[in-house]
Amino acid sequence: MRAFSEIITGRAWVLGDNIDTDQIIQGQHLNLLDYEEMAKHALEIPRPEFAQNVKENDIIIAGRNFGGGSSREEAPMILTILGVGCIAAESFARIFYRNAINVGLPVIEIKNATERIVDGQQLTVFLKDGQVKITDTGELIKFMPIPAFMMDILRAGGAIQYYKNHRVN
Amino acid sequence: MSKTMAEKILARHTENGRADAGEIVQASVDFIMVHEVLGSRIIDILQEMETDSVWDPNRIMVVNDHWAPAPNIQSAIIHQRNREFVKRHGIKYFCDVNCGVSHQVLIEWGLAKPGDLIIGSDSHTTSYGAMNAFSTGLAATDSAIVLATGKNWFKVPESMRINIDGELAEMVMSKDLILKIIADLGPDGANYKAIEFHGPVVDKMTVASRATMCNMSVEAGAKAGLMTVNKQVEDWLSLRAREAHWTRVDPDPTAEYVEMITYDLDTDPVEPMIATPHSPANGRPVTEVDVEIDQAFLGSCTNGRFEDLQIAAMIMKGHKVKEGVRFIITPASMETYKAALNMGFIETFIQAGAIVTNPTCGACVGGHLGILGPNEVAITSTNRNFRGRMGHPDSRIYLSSPATVAASAIMGRITDPRGF
Ligand code: SF4
Repeated sequence: MRAFSEIITGRAWVLGDNIDTDQIIQGQHLNLLDYEEMAKHALEIPRPEFAQNVKENDIIIAGRNFGGGSSREEAPMILTILGVGCIAAESFARIFYRNAINVGLPVIEIKNATERIVDGQQLTVFLKDGQVKITDTGELIKFMPIPAFMMDILRAGGAIQYYKNHRVN
Repeated sequence: MSKTMAEKILARHTENGRADAGEIVQASVDFIMVHEVLGSRIIDILQEMETDSVWDPNRIMVVNDHWAPAPNIQSAIIHQRNREFVKRHGIKYFCDVNCGVSHQVLIEWGLAKPGDLIIGSDSHTTSYGAMNAFSTGLAATDSAIVLATGKNWFKVPESMRINIDGELAEMVMSKDLILKIIADLGPDGANYKAIEFHGPVVDKMTVASRATMCNMSVEAGAKAGLMTVNKQVEDWLSLRAREAHWTRVDPDPTAEYVEMITYDLDTDPVEPMIATPHSPANGRPVTEVDVEIDQAFLGSCTNGRFEDLQIAAMIMKGHKVKEGVRFIITPASMETYKAALNMGFIETFIQAGAIVTNPTCGACVGGHLGILGPNEVAITSTNRNFRGRMGHPDSRIYLSSPATVAASAIMGRITDPRGF
């Protein structure tokens, strides 16, 4: 598990609405036990070049209902393994949101995110302040900060570590 | 204060007996079901959590259903790990590759009861709302936490209330109704919310028809789909959960809903529906869709039950599957399979040229026994038609009721079952 940072700088990968879990990772790959192997198929359907080219701390920008469908935790997990630093979407499907927090991947909701941010732009996300800065234009976009309880899980490095820290022995 | 069904059931499971919409609560669950994700992920997570005991082996069900029996080595390893886990922890309920799809089997075994809080490592865990239980899907890490502690945190959902008045027409099934509702709500129309289904239509429905609707609630983003107890549920439980204690949960008459929607099927009848690619929310009346098919699939936790096979057999009787079309039928459980065998449905299917497989998720998840090739078109009684769900990303999936699947298999194109 990589160290959690509240300031994330990276390239924007802009996707559309309703990027469901089968587009993030198809069911046929789910019996691959090795996450690194599985990660090679991340977002294979909408962005076949993604897994090859994504860099540490890159940021996914998406429209409505990101991560709808299956409960597969593999979806946020392989994005984390590829180094994705944060996902900003107009809205998230419930289970995906929860899974992302559990694996230590920050998820934020930004209205009209895909209209305000262009694919390839360099961004910095300030989680605590609830702001995203677009590097070229200097534009600042505000968002509702992540709820405190979920920030605690992120800071711990995910739900497993959080569980271990809070276990009553 | 007045409460919704979701609030009431969750409140029964919190320490202080409270659960108000919007609040995050710690709740104790009654039961958890885990499938292959146990072997592929959860066991490793439990190790990482440094725990080697489960909270209560009598309230856990382990299922090998997604790739059953194993079509490749990876699945075989996952199944082995599940078997070993079941043995080591003395898990009471185990459904190995010969028994069926989790959501059908759990209900058959009488393990979903009114008022229960049930978790499954699968998004279609919403199915048990048909039994008046609050049930929702969580993934590997959250399931591991429940396996270890019997508890987890939940955000108490807001609820929407859908009333359905009138009656379903001939050859129109609960699947058509839920496809219509999801089309109206949109793929995220119920995101984070619980949906309560009320009214004479669901009050009259069989357990199977109700389960189809609660199963698919998640396709509108819902956290849970809920129904009150009806006569069929009572009969079901008195047969299958004889020893169990349960009390029904009804919402307060003045409970607050974020949205109330009414369908009156007498003035505005629902027709057989087709969800076109690539979203379950793309529902349209079958009369507006005319597409040639390569494959028809009847099965899954949505519509692979006895009544689904029954209506398909009725339609198939005396007909043949169109030449060049593959009609694959996968009963949702071994119990369903046996009942269909006794009634002669299996023979009808085989005589018609269909392929009957063992119970498994199989084709539904693009796993095995019916994967689609490039540009192929399928009609299916399952719940998801996402791009690539059943195979090649360039294949196209149309969702419908079992009746429409059978009629289409005969004609080789998407067909209104009302002509049969
Ligand atoms: S039948 Fe399909 S939808 Fe149901 S549990 Fe299996 S894979 Fe999931």
